[in-house]
Amino acid sequence: MSFSSMNIAEIQAGLRAGEFSAREIADSSLERIERVDAQVNAFLEVTADAAREAASGVDAAIAAGTFDELGPLAGVPVAFKDNMNQLGTHTTCSSRMLENYVSPYTATCVQRVLDAGGLPLGKLNMDEFAFGSSTETSAFGTTKNPWDLQRVPGGSSGGSAAAVAAGMACVTLGSDTGGSIRQPGSFCGVVAVKPTYGVVSRYGVVAFGSSLDQVGPFARNVRDAALTLNALSGRDPLDCTSQECTIDFTANLEQGVQGMRIGIVPAFMQAQGLTSEVRSAIEAAAAKLEAAGATLVEVELPNAAAAMSAYYVLGPCEAFSNLSRFDSVRYGYRDPGHHDLGSQYEASRAKGFGPEARRRIMLGSYLLSSGVYDKYYYPAQQVRTLITQDYTRAFEQVDCILAPVSPRTAFKFGEVSDPTTMYLSDIFTISINIAGNGGMNMPIGLGEDTGLPVGAQLIAPAFHDANMLRVASALESIYGPAPVAPAFAEEEGGR
Amino acid sequence: MKSMEEVLRDWEAVIGLEVHCELTKLETKMFCGCKLEFGAEPNTHTCPVCLGLPGALPVPNKAAIENIVLAGLATNCDIEKHTMFYRKGYMYPDMAKNFQTTQGPKAFCMRGWLDLDVDGRGASERYNLEELAEGEQVENITRTADGYRAHVGIERIHMEEDAGKMIHVGGAEGRIEGAKESLVDYNRAGTPLIELVTKPDLRTPEEARLFMQKLRQIFLAIGISDCSMEEGSLRADGNISLRRRGTTQLGTKTELKNINSFKSLHDGLAYEICRQAEVLEEGGVIYQETRHWDPSAKRTIVMRVKETADDYRMFPDPDLAPYDLSDEFIERVRAKLPELPDQKAARFKESFGLSSYDARHLVEHRATTAFFEDCMALPECKPEFAKPLANLLINDIAARLNNGEQIDASVLTPARMVALVGMLAADELSSKQGKEVLQAILDEDADPAAIVEARGMKQVSDTGALEAIVDEVLAANPDKVEAYRGGKTGLLGFFVGQCMKATRGQGNPKLINQLLTSKLG
Amino acid sequence: MTQHVTEKDVRAIAEYARIGLTDEELPQMTQDLNAIIESLKPITEYDLDGVEPTFHPIGDLSNVMREDVEVPGFTQEQALSNAPLQQDGSFRIPSILGGEA
Repeated sequence: MSFSSMNIAEIQAGLRAGEFSAREIADSSLERIERVDAQVNAFLEVTADAAREAASGVDAAIAAGTFDELGPLAGVPVAFKDNMNQLGTHTTCSSRMLENYVSPYTATCVQRVLDAGGLPLGKLNMDEFAFGSSTETSAFGTTKNPWDLQRVPGGSSGGSAAAVAAGMACVTLGSDTGGSIRQPGSFCGVVAVKPTYGVVSRYGVVAFGSSLDQVGPFARNVRDAALTLNALSGRDPLDCTSQECTIDFTANLEQGVQGMRIGIVPAFMQAQGLTSEVRSAIEAAAAKLEAAGATLVEVELPNAAAAMSAYYVLGPCEAFSNLSRFDSVRYGYRDPGHHDLGSQYEASRAKGFGPEARRRIMLGSYLLSSGVYDKYYYPAQQVRTLITQDYTRAFEQVDCILAPVSPRTAFKFGEVSDPTTMYLSDIFTISINIAGNGGMNMPIGLGEDTGLPVGAQLIAPAFHDANMLRVASALESIYGPAPVAPAFAEEEGGR
Repeated sequence: MKSMEEVLRDWEAVIGLEVHCELTKLETKMFCGCKLEFGAEPNTHTCPVCLGLPGALPVPNKAAIENIVLAGLATNCDIEKHTMFYRKGYMYPDMAKNFQTTQGPKAFCMRGWLDLDVDGRGASERYNLEELAEGEQVENITRTADGYRAHVGIERIHMEEDAGKMIHVGGAEGRIEGAKESLVDYNRAGTPLIELVTKPDLRTPEEARLFMQKLRQIFLAIGISDCSMEEGSLRADGNISLRRRGTTQLGTKTELKNINSFKSLHDGLAYEICRQAEVLEEGGVIYQETRHWDPSAKRTIVMRVKETADDYRMFPDPDLAPYDLSDEFIERVRAKLPELPDQKAARFKESFGLSSYDARHLVEHRATTAFFEDCMALPECKPEFAKPLANLLINDIAARLNNGEQIDASVLTPARMVALVGMLAADELSSKQGKEVLQAILDEDADPAAIVEARGMKQVSDTGALEAIVDEVLAANPDKVEAYRGGKTGLLGFFVGQCMKATRGQGNPKLINQLLTSKLG
Repeated sequence: MTQHVTEKDVRAIAEYARIGLTDEELPQMTQDLNAIIESLKPITEYDLDGVEPTFHPIGDLSNVMREDVEVPGFTQEQALSNAPLQQDGSFRIPSILGGEA
């Protein structure tokens, strides 16, 4: 039996009915990774023992008749971005710096997935320390887009998106600092949610930009993403910025968009660099939502244009500080043969970090230096206030905003090499991280020019993430759930 | 080198202190639940947070915040309600995250002050004090009967975390110079630390020493730290510069670090005053540098020259929520404020009729203060016992505590002390005998009455008995009596000595004195 | 393009960030940084008078603290499990001042 395209409901129904065991799910998933990942390279580490151990727990519960007491992810094959600590696994952040690092503790988000009954398959490739939009900055090889192996999966959570798109996992976790969940979600055609900042604990997730980072799920349908959010969300005493969250993210998925006000941002739709296929796909989606009973309302985000520069101030500043702990003293790459600490520091950090990481650290070090701080950092935090106010005003008029995720569909390896051009991949996603509210990618078919997945971005007011899931669910009923990429799709029930 | 007194005639010393105090009374560290313990095996009190592991996040210890607010209230600070933690970048191996979590421009406690009473020899360090009349005020000082009172401003007290510890190996005696390698232990990393910064209001090493001593008394009283300078839970850095008397512009300052006793603080600053004066008087320049006080060599040595101002890349820590302290929170902390040393001294003065000097010095040590109160609370203790009791505690007990001696409380009980003081107050013992009995109590674990009995130490205050002895002595020395009456009044001491000898030291010297003067006069 | 940082500045930034930079890498890094800094220009041109900064995108959340209660941490072995080098229960590093080779 193949589980590669099953959703959570199907998996759990099968388990309940005794059609298959959790052990079979684990074995089959591991076998599929073995077969498929040679082409995709989404996994950096496969945790077969942990998956099988979790499966025996689920099977024991089924045998004991306590399956329904397990969490929302019982029996679901899951995998984690490699910036998430999981006790006993490597947590490399796709960096030479952490190549040999083995986590002595577990991130809260990982723990909550495990507590919810998930079967942990392994750790997923990413841009080094999440610096990138294509997974090309990984020190351990690029991940291929399952829709076209010549193309990037997006990034930084490229492995998380590709693993779901290639049917290697039902649900994966990624992290999003400026678009790192939504953009690869759109490139790989999967549902990908960046919840409101504070919905999911960041404890144990290797930090990039602490005020921007947020963990969220990838899945092939909206309900699976919502169920995963149910498992992930809620205050964590180990993360001061996590908040109480008792929302049932699945609660209003069936309600449709009748009566909802959906915002369109004209400046986004007219943005330079937005390809016509993405624009027309978004416009078509808007029309379909209107036809389904939603009201379209134009809203302005006048300060969103400054989001990009604010982001490239805040992100590198926080990253510079967060990455200063990689010093070869307690863990991490240590360049051999140095007799003074200073030269060991410099050589270890020069060789342990890749070029993009070095650039961002350097940039942050510059931007925070005295005299420069007042010119960039402080104004960037003021701009954050303006952008947040923009969203507050917009959400007085609408329940949800519909926008592009990425200006274009997946690009080819090496096609975008200039860092400042690469940064433009996140032009529509970044302002959401700056303001902290929720945003997600919803697949809306294939682009008419490239034939590659196009994603619609749905943006919700802070802590009203359920609004965007409701709209996404309506789109899903029009476009259908996200399929496994054709090259990796298997016949239902086939092997 | 000139003496400090000579230097201070021409130069004014401007001194500010930065005091670090570890909150050792807490159970756990500042940002994680690891146990606070001094002297454990290396790296046995660590976790992802205090080891700075990738992904770990800090969560502040509420009790630490209460402690710093308590410290602020006890030092007359304004409590700043809206504050944030900042990251202060500094790449050093004992700093696990390579930034220190500390506070920015606004600290929890701002704009405080302490008044210092400077008396005795220490007061003479202040230049031209004798020119002031009692009650007269100049700058931040007011002349008092036995010295002066200095008003010292406190800039701020902020919350931060301590670093780990490094041991340097492969060189001599664990010194960093010549060491090949270092070993790092993070047990101390993340220990809650408050840093108090004074205004540059201090003018003499004695004032600096007294400020530290007073601060220590306060921190001990409010119970936030064991304040051990030897173990490093209370540390002081002194900033010092000189300027010509009559000028107002500040000179270049040096920073004196690694001071582990009150004496070192005083002597290090005194040395720096003399050293800087010598450099300046020879036409040299003072470099902004960090210097280390070497108490055995009695000099300061350069640790680090600061060529440029440090740039710590400070910014608000995004991992920590800001603070918005409520009045309720602050009032709840205020309710925990115990009677502070100054308040205690005022009460002692008021209730027991002690002098300002006695009251002030009595509260210098928590042990003696508490002991004094225990003694006074005993029913057999009369109000007039207060003065001799205070004398014994200040001059004998406190001195011994200052020398690091432990006074065994089970041996020297309040009851024994009051019994002893009772004999002193009743003139049954001379003050010299009092000291002897006190020593005997400690040595022999015996009651004063038993000691006095066993040693036959009763002071003879029987006028009749003493009169007979006085007469004998005068009769035995007619030539000296003659000389005395001829104007050699200095011979009184001789007669007293003879009488004391005749009473085997037990005659009441006061009475003997009276008898002698009346008979000789 | 405006020269925001010179090669000398970049050398100093690298030293502060403790990232070794070869003489060959210096011109490219300088160029990259200048290009990125140039792209940050909009931030410097905004009228931000009277706008409060938002350092924490967490709404009114404040005073987040924990009780002063011990939580079990690592054993010494766990603490040192990723140490590149260790000795006597501690992390071993070369001397800060640099010992002889």
